[in-house]
Amino acid sequence: MSMVGAGLSDDELLAALQKAVAARQAVPAEFVASAKNAFAWHNIDAELARLTYDTIRDTGLALSNRTEAASIRALTFTSGHLTIELEVGAESLVGQVVPAQTALITIQPMTGPEIDVQADEIGCFSIGPIPAGQFRLRCRSAAGFETITGWITL
Amino acid sequence: MRDDPSVIALVARVVNGDQQAWNEIIERYSPLVWSICVRYQLSRHDIDDVGQGVWLGLVEHIGKLRQPAALAGWLATTTRNECLRVLRAARRYDPDGLPAEDLMPPDPDATMIEQELIEAELNAALRAAFAELSPACHELLSMLISDPPPAYAHVSQVLGIPVGSIGPTRARCLDRLRQSPHLADFLSDTAGDVGVREAGR
Repeated sequence: MSMVGAGLSDDELLAALQKAVAARQAVPAEFVASAKNAFAWHNIDAELARLTYDTIRDTGLALSNRTEAASIRALTFTSGHLTIELEVGAESLVGQVVPAQTALITIQPMTGPEIDVQADEIGCFSIGPIPAGQFRLRCRSAAGFETITGWITL
Repeated sequence: MRDDPSVIALVARVVNGDQQAWNEIIERYSPLVWSICVRYQLSRHDIDDVGQGVWLGLVEHIGKLRQPAALAGWLATTTRNECLRVLRAARRYDPDGLPAEDLMPPDPDATMIEQELIEAELNAALRAAFAELSPACHELLSMLISDPPPAYAHVSQVLGIPVGSIGPTRARCLDRLRQSPHLADFLSDTAGDVGVREAGR
């Protein structure tokens, strides 16, 4: 049986340490920060709506093509109860809650104040201007269900 | 390793709502999640997506883990599943396009994950041991593992110690590292063999 203590020479142990430290340094600070932020979910009752479709990811559409009319970015978030569709326009976001229902949509930026918008009876809502940093949407449906999307960066 | 009491204690604190304990778990295991994503050659965007799925999944499940000490194994498996989910979602992963099962090595993914897991646990133990060394030892070893490795004359100048004492001090500091309780599990664990040798290269 090999052991860290007895099995490795000084050079090997130092090399192992170097590798261990490098493995931690290879992880970007933002990846670690957002992992730490995930703990904010531990006492939230709302259901998570996961990103299930993103034109950029799912069609390989490049960001540089965004100005073309045919390549509007669309995102879909899905939870057990509902789906939130988002389309990224030039200056605003247009969204719809499916199945159609009135709901209160709260834009929760990572930093800065929250903003409420109302989804109408067919579930449509509009957010403008487009949030600059990372944000998520909280949806409180008339039926009382709460859903929160994962963090979004546009 | 699998029965690490410090992991069990961290999990218990997290279940009680301790953000600091959660942060320690992230510090310890984010390299494991990251390295598995890298092995799947995911884009940065997809890695963030996987990370979100893994950590939110952990928030949800951490109170229900049947073996809290096996947290790293749970994370490795969940990360793998999330990677496959992202790849499938992007339609870049086509099971029908893979060679017939008998032409493939037995579950290469599982083997890879197991290697990453063993290595990540050793790395975490080494970092924990390293963090608890005396400031003098920490400083010296930090310099010695920097890339490219510094000349002893430079180390001597920066740390203000004679060139002749660097070698003996290095040996003494590495001995302290070996004696750390964090590495004790790796003395008796039969699964440690591969990981230690791998990491020692």
